[in-house]
Amino acid sequence: MRLSHITKRFGTNVAVDDVSLAFAPGEIVGLVGENGAGKTTLMSIAAGELAADEGTIDDRTSAGIVHQHFLLVSEFTIAENLALAMWGRDADAIIRDSGIALRDVHRRVADISVGEKAKLELIKAVARHPRFLILDEPTSVLAPAEARELFVVMRQLAANGTTVVFISHKIPEVLEVATRVVVMRRGRIVADGGTMTASELAEAMVERRQVERRQQVERRSDSPVRQTAAVNRTGESDLRLPMLQLEEGLGVHAGEIVAIIGVAGNGQSELAASLRDSLRGHVAHIPEDRARDGLIAEMTIAENIALAEKRWRPRIAAKTASALIERFDIRAQSPLQRAGSLSGGNQQKVILARELERKPEIIVAAEPSRGLDIEATRFVHDELRAAATRGAAILLITSDLDEAFALGDAIHVIYRGKLSDRLTPAEAAERAPQLMAGVERRESGVGA
Amino acid sequence: MSGKLRVPISVSRIGIAVIAATTAIAGLALCGIAFGRSPGELLAILAGGSIGSSFALQGTLLKSVPLLLTGLSVAVAFRAGVWNIGGEGQFLVGALGAFLGARYGVIASLMAAVVAGAIWASIATAMRLWRNAPEVLTTILLNFIAIHLLGYAVNGPLQEVGGKYPQSDAVPARASLPLLGNLELHAGVVIAVLVAVAAWYLLYQTAEGLRLRATGFNRSAAKWAGVNVDGQLIRAMAISGAMAGLAGGIELLGVTHRLFERFAAGYGYAGIAVALLAQLHPLGTIASALFFGALTTGAGELQRTAGISSMVATLAQAIVILAMIAFMRRSKTSS
Repeated sequence: MRLSHITKRFGTNVAVDDVSLAFAPGEIVGLVGENGAGKTTLMSIAAGELAADEGTIDDRTSAGIVHQHFLLVSEFTIAENLALAMWGRDADAIIRDSGIALRDVHRRVADISVGEKAKLELIKAVARHPRFLILDEPTSVLAPAEARELFVVMRQLAANGTTVVFISHKIPEVLEVATRVVVMRRGRIVADGGTMTASELAEAMVERRQVERRQQVERRSDSPVRQTAAVNRTGESDLRLPMLQLEEGLGVHAGEIVAIIGVAGNGQSELAASLRDSLRGHVAHIPEDRARDGLIAEMTIAENIALAEKRWRPRIAAKTASALIERFDIRAQSPLQRAGSLSGGNQQKVILARELERKPEIIVAAEPSRGLDIEATRFVHDELRAAATRGAAILLITSDLDEAFALGDAIHVIYRGKLSDRLTPAEAAERAPQLMAGVERRESGVGA
Repeated sequence: MSGKLRVPISVSRIGIAVIAATTAIAGLALCGIAFGRSPGELLAILAGGSIGSSFALQGTLLKSVPLLLTGLSVAVAFRAGVWNIGGEGQFLVGALGAFLGARYGVIASLMAAVVAGAIWASIATAMRLWRNAPEVLTTILLNFIAIHLLGYAVNGPLQEVGGKYPQSDAVPARASLPLLGNLELHAGVVIAVLVAVAAWYLLYQTAEGLRLRATGFNRSAAKWAGVNVDGQLIRAMAISGAMAGLAGGIELLGVTHRLFERFAAGYGYAGIAVALLAQLHPLGTIASALFFGALTTGAGELQRTAGISSMVATLAQAIVILAMIAFMRRSKTSS
């Protein structure tokens, strides 16, 4: 299979940018890169699930793809799910042929473990005998032992001449199983080769950021250290990874912005949710999932803003909202417009207006500029900086490194629910790639 | 400017309700053919029996009182995102409470009805918070418990002194609701309208109502905005149960004066149709309750003069519910 000059755009965003790539039978290709680097898009095109805007595919072979999210019917048994995929064949025979161990096909999928579900998806794909098999983040839900089992299957498939593409951002695993590694960044291939060290890979994956010290605003140096949170919780997420094990308090001083960066799914959402439930006092929250948690779409802008206030007087609320629409430059016809009818950027501005107008002492902002255009992003950043200047302690949780370096006075990297030491932006620029990929063990003595 | 934006929305909502109500009436009229009557004749009987005379009109108003209160009960719960299908049970328990409190006078009796209904509904909330049991199931099961509780009461401890029928003695005269002037109407009519206005004020003019509605629309977003979602649910359900309980109390003290099996006669379930037709708006519920009240009294007249079962009123309720759900689904998917 050979991909030539593949380009794919989503709106103005170029997901895959003029990529050419050839695959040989029997290869295990590790495809790595940050979130949004274009890995999944490229492979969906290779599998024929997406059409490329430009470019050609030669020698297309039968391709199978195992998605990151399960496509299984929970209420059905393993055998029934296999029957949906391959009607008329005996479930036990399919499993035996695949070489993957999965016992008792009469169990309901709802009752089996996440690792077994991943295996079942793999069996479904392997049963069609593809010559080209794509596994999208297959180990993200697996325990280490299960991952090793998966690698054995991958090697068997490769030995039989199948090309296996293994999409991942876990560098140690990629180095363990792949015979060739391809690194993508911002829609392009930036490295391709057989022998790379973990450090080289991490460097290639994560662009080095130039650290520009932003203008040091006048800080109240005498302000006491304000603990925004002392979270000590061992939780299990749906992914069965031990998420969020923050042994010590996470400290944020008044007037300071502390950024938490990391690959999505390493405990950021759990951290934000636990801070929402545990922080008391004058706290503002900017939720990560704007569509679900941001605004009440059915209610008006005025009503949404008033949710943060103790009193509700419709007329006064409409006046307040009008003033905020003006100040935050929200493109709305009236404060009585339904919030759901606003564009994404304007919805985010309404959230900011509601949360920041109260002059909070602590702000927890998760992905505050996700999906916003440049102008709106700048606006969000200016507001957060202004809040810090005013003396608020700000915790910024973001997967956008540019944002973290543009705003953060200090940076923590979160990996598998654990925070790194407190890093200065300069230190973070140096070490973030390794820390984010989990190839550098945590060292002590760098903290604040 | 704000007026311009809001008018079309409310006009279209009223339009939907009118269409649904008309559909129900048209469905009923067509049913008349099955009984060998012309649709026109049927409509004439319906109209005459419900609004045709002062007597009929008073009957309609009396039927509308419990419908208005159970409708408001459903509307408040649904607004908070809770499927309270337990109006029937809360109505019965409210009547039981009112009966027990009757010896202390009409005010105490009504208070007892309110408290009993609130507690009965709160059992469902408690099960939700304790074991995440869905209210759709718990409230409907609580209905059956309430029905049998009443059955036991009127066959056992609360049975009339004579012990002849499965019913209670009449409540003392001083616990009866006073009549309005020289009409057949009791003071419950005024109470019900006041409760409707209070419900409107609560939902749209107070912070409590704002948060209650936010919780109903999007629990997750409400939580992020700092709303204590559990607290909202507890209070919304208690208020909802209190309204249905009050309906039962008023029915006892104003109309029947006795408890008996089948006391609720479907008022609790009818409240769902009333609330849906009003699109969960408290003031709309007044109009909606009057419509269903008229339908019920009109259906009674149908049974007496044309020999058509008054169950057709239930049929009309069903048509309204289905029509409203169809419209709501459409407006939700198109927006």
